[in-house]
Amino acid sequence: MPEIRVTPLGAGQDVGRSCILVSIGGKNVMLDCGMHMGFNDDRRFPDFSYITRNGRLTDFLDCVIISHFHLDHCGALPYFSEMVGYDGPIYMTHPTQAICPILLEDYRKIAVDKKGEANFFTSQMIKDCMKKVVAVHLHQTVQVDDELEIKAYYAGHVLGAAMFQIKVGSESVVYTGDYNMTPDRHLGAAWIDKCRPNLLITESTYATTIRDSKRCRERDFLKKVHETVERGGKVLIPVFALGRAQELCILLETFWERVNLKAPIYFSTGLTEKANHYYKLFITWTNQKIRKTFVQRNMFEFKHIKAFDRAFADNPGPMVVFATPGMLHAGQSLQIFRKWAGNEKNMVIMPGYCVQGTVGHKILSGQRKLEMEGRQVLEVKMQVEYMSFSAHADAKGIMQLVGQAEPESVLLVHGEAKKMEFLKQKIEQEFRLLPSAKKPRLLHGTLIMKDSSFQLVSSEQALKELGLAEHQLRFTCRVHLHDSRKEQETAARVYSHLKSVLKDHCVQHLPDGSVTVESILIQAAAHSEDPGTKVLLVSWTYQDEELGSYLTSLLKKGLPQAPS
Amino acid sequence: MRKFPKCLNRTAVPDLPVPCKQARVTASFSASQQAELLPGLFGEAGPLGQAAWSAPTVRSGWIQGLRSLAQHPSALPFLADCGTLDTIFSLQGDSSLFVASAAGQLLVHILGLSLQGPAEGPPSPQACDWPVCAQKIVGHIEGSLRSMATPQVTQALNVLTTTFGHCHGPWMQVLWERLSPLVACLLQEDPLPAAHSLVDLLLSVARSPVLSSSDCGLWETLAQTLRRLSPAQAGPLALGILKLQDCPQALRAQAFGVLLQPLACVLTAADQAPGPPGLPEGTTGDSVTVDTLLSSKSACAGLLCQTLAHLELLQPLPQRPSPWPQAPLLGAAVTILRFCNGSAAPASDVGGRLCAILAGCVRVQRAALDFLGALAQETGPQELVTQVSAVLLEYLRSPDSSPTVLKKAFQATLRWLLSSPRAPGCCDLDPDTQLFLRELLPVLRKRLCSPCWEVRDSGLEFLTQVTRHWGGQAGFRHALLASEVPELAEQLLRDPESYVRASAVTAVGQLSSQGLHATAASPEQLGGQKESLLAELLHVLSTDSEGFPRRAAMQVFTEWLRDRHADVAEDTERFVARVLQAASRDLDWEVRAQGLELALVFLAQTLGQPSARCPYAVAAPQATPPGPLAQALRALSRVRLFEFAFRALFDCDRPVAQKSCDLLLFLRAQATPSGGLQEAEGSPDVVPVEAALQRWRAGEQGEPLGDLEPEAVLAVLRSLDLEGLRGALAESSDHVEKSPQSLLQDMLATVGVRGENQADCY
Repeated sequence: MPEIRVTPLGAGQDVGRSCILVSIGGKNVMLDCGMHMGFNDDRRFPDFSYITRNGRLTDFLDCVIISHFHLDHCGALPYFSEMVGYDGPIYMTHPTQAICPILLEDYRKIAVDKKGEANFFTSQMIKDCMKKVVAVHLHQTVQVDDELEIKAYYAGHVLGAAMFQIKVGSESVVYTGDYNMTPDRHLGAAWIDKCRPNLLITESTYATTIRDSKRCRERDFLKKVHETVERGGKVLIPVFALGRAQELCILLETFWERVNLKAPIYFSTGLTEKANHYYKLFITWTNQKIRKTFVQRNMFEFKHIKAFDRAFADNPGPMVVFATPGMLHAGQSLQIFRKWAGNEKNMVIMPGYCVQGTVGHKILSGQRKLEMEGRQVLEVKMQVEYMSFSAHADAKGIMQLVGQAEPESVLLVHGEAKKMEFLKQKIEQEFRLLPSAKKPRLLHGTLIMKDSSFQLVSSEQALKELGLAEHQLRFTCRVHLHDSRKEQETAARVYSHLKSVLKDHCVQHLPDGSVTVESILIQAAAHSEDPGTKVLLVSWTYQDEELGSYLTSLLKKGLPQAPS
Repeated sequence: MRKFPKCLNRTAVPDLPVPCKQARVTASFSASQQAELLPGLFGEAGPLGQAAWSAPTVRSGWIQGLRSLAQHPSALPFLADCGTLDTIFSLQGDSSLFVASAAGQLLVHILGLSLQGPAEGPPSPQACDWPVCAQKIVGHIEGSLRSMATPQVTQALNVLTTTFGHCHGPWMQVLWERLSPLVACLLQEDPLPAAHSLVDLLLSVARSPVLSSSDCGLWETLAQTLRRLSPAQAGPLALGILKLQDCPQALRAQAFGVLLQPLACVLTAADQAPGPPGLPEGTTGDSVTVDTLLSSKSACAGLLCQTLAHLELLQPLPQRPSPWPQAPLLGAAVTILRFCNGSAAPASDVGGRLCAILAGCVRVQRAALDFLGALAQETGPQELVTQVSAVLLEYLRSPDSSPTVLKKAFQATLRWLLSSPRAPGCCDLDPDTQLFLRELLPVLRKRLCSPCWEVRDSGLEFLTQVTRHWGGQAGFRHALLASEVPELAEQLLRDPESYVRASAVTAVGQLSSQGLHATAASPEQLGGQKESLLAELLHVLSTDSEGFPRRAAMQVFTEWLRDRHADVAEDTERFVARVLQAASRDLDWEVRAQGLELALVFLAQTLGQPSARCPYAVAAPQATPPGPLAQALRALSRVRLFEFAFRALFDCDRPVAQKSCDLLLFLRAQATPSGGLQEAEGSPDVVPVEAALQRWRAGEQGEPLGDLEPEAVLAVLRSLDLEGLRGALAESSDHVEKSPQSLLQDMLATVGVRGENQADCY
């Protein structure tokens, strides 16, 4: 039995400050490096003294892996790398690498703004920390060193969230981070292959819950917003800049479009542009529906949601405003709340949990007279609503993942002890964790006969063994165009047409005259009988089936007239 | 309802039981004891058996409560009698690291309190004379040290380490005399249990002022431990010994030898010489160290990185060994870097194997570059300095260098460049440095075009630093202007990555301050181009979608104004007005705060600079004479500084309001020390200013006001309670949340609706 030691420096049997130290095959890996929103003292960050006792951090730790951009998973990273002194590599996915510094900066600004904390990490430290990041692709095996390798799997939950497999020799651990086994409006479901790790470390936030349909919660949300706007009230939705904000924006945008509402929706931070830019950039990380519709319309280019200006808060009439920060504890959201709190027609919707002490926490627990700074008392007459949109796997989802990965052992973290105990029994009952040799296994591969014996090998290996060349399957289609110009000119016209239509795709005009859009190849040829017609030969791989069909139908409509 | 004491000291422990918090209150101790509340809370019959005990926050709260209780010596008998200490002992091994750590610290605190006791002088060496609490704790530590279980030994060693680190009473000596034989016994065990904790303890004892003066036994234990530990374990101990102020020379020599061993091995392997020249006698690279280096890639990298980091820490200390072997250390750093990039050709077998192990090892490259940079504090033989330059250029040029390695290479290069000697008799750079620069700048140019933003950014940071220090050197100016680097820096103002744009703004601002901006070289374009950089940075400030470049632009503008940069001096008022206008609209509060910084510089320049060292010092202002004062105030009005500052006073972000408050206090003190202006000109019309203030206070934006009457502004300024506002802002918004009233409301509101939804914030 391999020796794998796991030490949770945070989020062992609670939520927040996720930081798990794993020692496997002589390698030490830190999984996540988060902060806890409920504490202002030492307990805000994980207890790193546990590792600093073992000498210099960089010598002790082989790498740090960040599962996703939420602050309870990455909020302590600049502190750890720039103030405690870790100087080694930090691995995360590309979207996490892009979004993480925005949230860290947001967190820093709120901490400094609200509390005037001087001994806090600076923007420069966030940047220096991000320079140590190595971004990874999904399913890419990354060699950290000669012995240690890691691999990322899709986790749903938020954009760029990943589960990580850590492997040293034949020993392996899978760490899930936070994940969601049911697709939502913009993300897909988590997935992992049957990697049979020695240990699966899984979050267990909703260990005993079978969650109701998210659709119901969404309907409820839309109904409340709609009712308030209809009676001329204003709706304030305090959010953090990224993540849930985008999900709710899509929800409202679609609803506004469908019901043809005119009340303005504003997003207050000035971050919309950048956040949406990342959602567009990492479109492959979103769910199938968004990817499919992407060619026609980008879901993150909002028609109804506009940037907020501070002066708008005083405008008469209904409106919906997304403002940061999410717990109403400082800045713009608190300022708007103060303005609107006195009117019973208005509503504030808290789409997430608020820590104790914040205005958000107070109004959610029913307090109606708030003592503000300067001894002012604010009377809250507006309606206060709480809505949970949290995207974690529930008990059913966790069991599903255990079934997918088939681990030898399971370790539950990021949840409450009692709930874990319950889930532990469920898992033991259902899977009766057996030694791996006795487990039924599902194998994928190609069966070949070699040296008078059968072997099941990967398809690449089979091709190699049998000396066969790989064939690629491509769809093809011919499109006839009325065009008497030369083939090269037709191809050039196709190129400029596609370039102007498909702004978010890589359209190229190759030296041999053909045009490519992603994997789609378009060549212009002369018609054998009709010199006034050209034939466009279009071919594409099955991965780009949607785009291929769309392009074909687009070309069938003909090309725009060239300017004379 | 339970009555809450006024001085309730709250930390953010959401689920902390109310009674635990109550125990912190000084006045309530006796009352709690009388009411027999304490045994129910902290005794054996306390919360241990309750379901809530399974929550780590409850256990943590319990320890915090005890910690407050243990402020009172009268609490000690209670702790000893009620079984509380036993619970604390067991909590040292708690599954929550925070609880375990707090339990250890609490034991240290109780031990200190009980041994300080009422008796004068050190306690008797006889344990039976000690207070019961101390007897129990020391007895527990002794038992743990004798135990065969490493976790228990570790816990005992950690408690002792903290004790010797924090307590300085004369009783420490008695305690060490009693426990040191047990610690020495640990050294006999094989394998050595809890080596790290043992090292920490020995160093803590050695640093303790009560003990270190003349304890021969301690020095002998340290020497013995150095011999007993493996090379990797011995490093931290050796460094700790070398940092000690008073320590026998022989022990220091032994420790330094341990620290140098791995580098001696590297030098020997590279040269095939028996003993590397320049290292202290006897440092030849022993076989144990060689075996460790050759055992595996991770062991080799680990030992070398640790050694390099320890020597880097030691290098700047006054108590570092003397003579300091600068030349062999430089040689070792260069050799390691060459092993790592494959440019070394060692003749020995060990050298060849080391080369194979270290090839491409980024971790060792980073550590060696850091160390090499630290060695720039002193120079070395010219031949070695040339090698340093060559190896740095190799790393900067190499396509294989990772972004993190390149960043370290730039930093090390900067340190060596800035420490390079000036040519004798002239203030310019020496010929070798000039030659190096000519080779370096094309590399920098290439790196500024790197596809990795990290590399472009590190390159720009390097450019800013080197220009700041060498902007005045003719040789540097000449080489830089001929290199196309300034043009590239300007192009990076439009980089897709905001961090790079911000660094480009800083770099270009610095170049321009030194007259090295790309276009400054062509005199015929001078007028038009000069305007264009200012315009370009203003464009960044008004339009960049991200805060970093806008903040960088504000910093550059403030510097320019402070240094009276030529572009600014042409029309300072117009410049300030444009910058303040852009800053006032910014969504990023740090840009607005920077705007106030710039406004303050302008204010000081316009009204005179009475106390440049502290612009906020309002205690002893010097009046500006009325005539020039009126002119100055009109200038402030023209650039709309008053409006900017008043709006900022009611900004929703606290630091902005705070800064504005400071600025207005300074203005008031500067402009109206005697109130002369207002009296001379009659009563001004303050109504429009006060009306605008009302609107801004209510959070309304409204239209710009136009030029304000300075007299009216001053009159309003005098009527505002700015000192009171500054006091309120300085308190931080936590004071409301932390008030007993707020806490009580939260607790009452939380009863019955305990959070099922905590995870929803993530």
